[in-house]
Amino acid sequence: MASSVSTAQERPSGAPPPERERARSRELSESALGRVFMAPSLLAMTLVALFPILYALFLSFFEFVGREQRGFAGLGNYATQLTDPRYWDAVRVTFTFTVAAVALEFLIGLGFALLMNQAFLGRGVTRATILIPWVIPTVISAQIWFFMLNITPGFINAALGLGDFNWLGQRPWALISLILADVWKTAPFVALLLLAGLQTIPGDMYEAARVDGASAWQRFTSITLPLLRPAIFVALLFRTVDSLRIYDLPKVMTNGANGTETLSILVQNYIVDQPNPGIGSTLATLTFILVLGVGLIFISLIGRNLVIGEE
Amino acid sequence: MTTAPAPTGESVRRAEPATRRRQGRSTGPVARDTAGRRIGKSALLLVIFLWCLFPFVWLISTSLKNSTGALNSPNIFEGPFGLQNYVAVFEQDFFFNLRNSAIVAGTTMVVCIVIGSFAAYALARLRFKNKVLLLSGVLAVSLFPPVALVPPLYEVWRTIGLLNTYPGLYIPYIAFNLPLTIFILVTFFGTIPQEMEEAARVDGASPFQAFYRVVLPLAAPGVFAAAILIFVYAWNEFLLASTFAPRDLAVQTVPVAIASFTGAVAFQRPIGSITAACVIVTIPMIILVLIFQRRIIAGLTAGGVKG
Repeated sequence: MASSVSTAQERPSGAPPPERERARSRELSESALGRVFMAPSLLAMTLVALFPILYALFLSFFEFVGREQRGFAGLGNYATQLTDPRYWDAVRVTFTFTVAAVALEFLIGLGFALLMNQAFLGRGVTRATILIPWVIPTVISAQIWFFMLNITPGFINAALGLGDFNWLGQRPWALISLILADVWKTAPFVALLLLAGLQTIPGDMYEAARVDGASAWQRFTSITLPLLRPAIFVALLFRTVDSLRIYDLPKVMTNGANGTETLSILVQNYIVDQPNPGIGSTLATLTFILVLGVGLIFISLIGRNLVIGEE
Repeated sequence: MTTAPAPTGESVRRAEPATRRRQGRSTGPVARDTAGRRIGKSALLLVIFLWCLFPFVWLISTSLKNSTGALNSPNIFEGPFGLQNYVAVFEQDFFFNLRNSAIVAGTTMVVCIVIGSFAAYALARLRFKNKVLLLSGVLAVSLFPPVALVPPLYEVWRTIGLLNTYPGLYIPYIAFNLPLTIFILVTFFGTIPQEMEEAARVDGASPFQAFYRVVLPLAAPGVFAAAILIFVYAWNEFLLASTFAPRDLAVQTVPVAIASFTGAVAFQRPIGSITAACVIVTIPMIILVLIFQRRIIAGLTAGGVKG
């Protein structure tokens, strides 16, 4: 984006007046065009993303019985929810899921990326293969893992010799199953992002380090990891924000039972199953603050230099 | 923006002295290995293959099983095998779900690309006020948890009658996919040499003509990459689809159908038709991935990306 600061000042300097005149009108029409070009996107995002958040905030101050509005509640809905153990359970489940899944995805993804970066043959085929878990709908991977882990037909149990182990029907294994399914689907995706980062590290640096007698581990910790930081940051940020929103896996695999009710499942519950726009909007607002907050903290802690550095 | 480093070999090539190492993209560690070690390292890729593919072996085998006994057996080789489950899936009108998903995802893709490429061009190239503010806003929208928008949108859609309609789905999909579209396209527009447009402008083209005639055609690969990603995200979306259009067969999308297949026996998920439906959806997507591998990866690594 830095490149956009070049044209107008340079060109007209030696040019005759009419040319300068035209340059200025060009500049004017450029900013007008900028506004026109931005308008449809801004309109769509404002109407469908920004407005609903404000509307949720508005609705959260009212008391509802079913879908019937029964008057102003002030902060009553927030007080009810923030003292409800069910809400805090959902927060705990969501964060446990996120921390465990993102950590595993990162470690496995990094391992895969290093393997692929070392390999000579079959790198292209592997890159295509790695996209397959990413491309299929999460609902499908959820159904696959549901049936593979379920007692009947019991594919995983048979493969591991576990008999009739009830993965999805008891704590904490139901949540562990969700983490497993999520790691399966997204670790390859993390690998892909990290591989792209690895490929930008010049080979000469490794050569030089090798000549200086650095061990493989030293080359990894003092060349690979620091230079991979931008890719690691992007992968972690997006995986974290995405895991905090997790809905499809628990909905299909456990429907929120056995300690797997995430925030998204809890919120969705108040829309159709037990409709209550007041409570639903309260929980929506709380979730919004939580997820956006984590994302922003993330960016300000690790990414500030990166984001600003590129603009 | 928060983009990963450029995925192409370009930056690598730039960093390396041009005279050295013709392979360009192969980075350091392999350089001195013997042929044997190279093959050994490549063999380790089998781990990745197994990781990615073993659930599909189970899936395809199960979808082809014909008897209840076989379907309830963990042995993936236990027959009899046949296409019975696939017939059953299409008897449940799965065709309609495929059509609905194609319409919703297709509309999302086209609209996102059209309005997103205007915005991305403005952000990448044109000079106007508050650009950084706008970019930060777009980034913030990409961090929004969709579930926070569902309760209020549900109330609005219920009031204006958009529940169980195509627009009720593709309107929010367009808004949610715009940040990704814009990030990817800003990155791609940024790689097109500024001189190309300047030349066009010197020749008397208006800024709009420079965008439409010069930049857009050159950015075609990036536009295409963004289009595939948007299509995949819209095709796979489940939360909004299952909340705004849960049952009506005229609108219900593929993920909702796959999550809610009901069998002859209540409370028991029909494993046969579900696995068959999963295969029907998965195979075209795998083909898509194999054909457009490079574009997809370029898009994913350019856009900062969500999973």
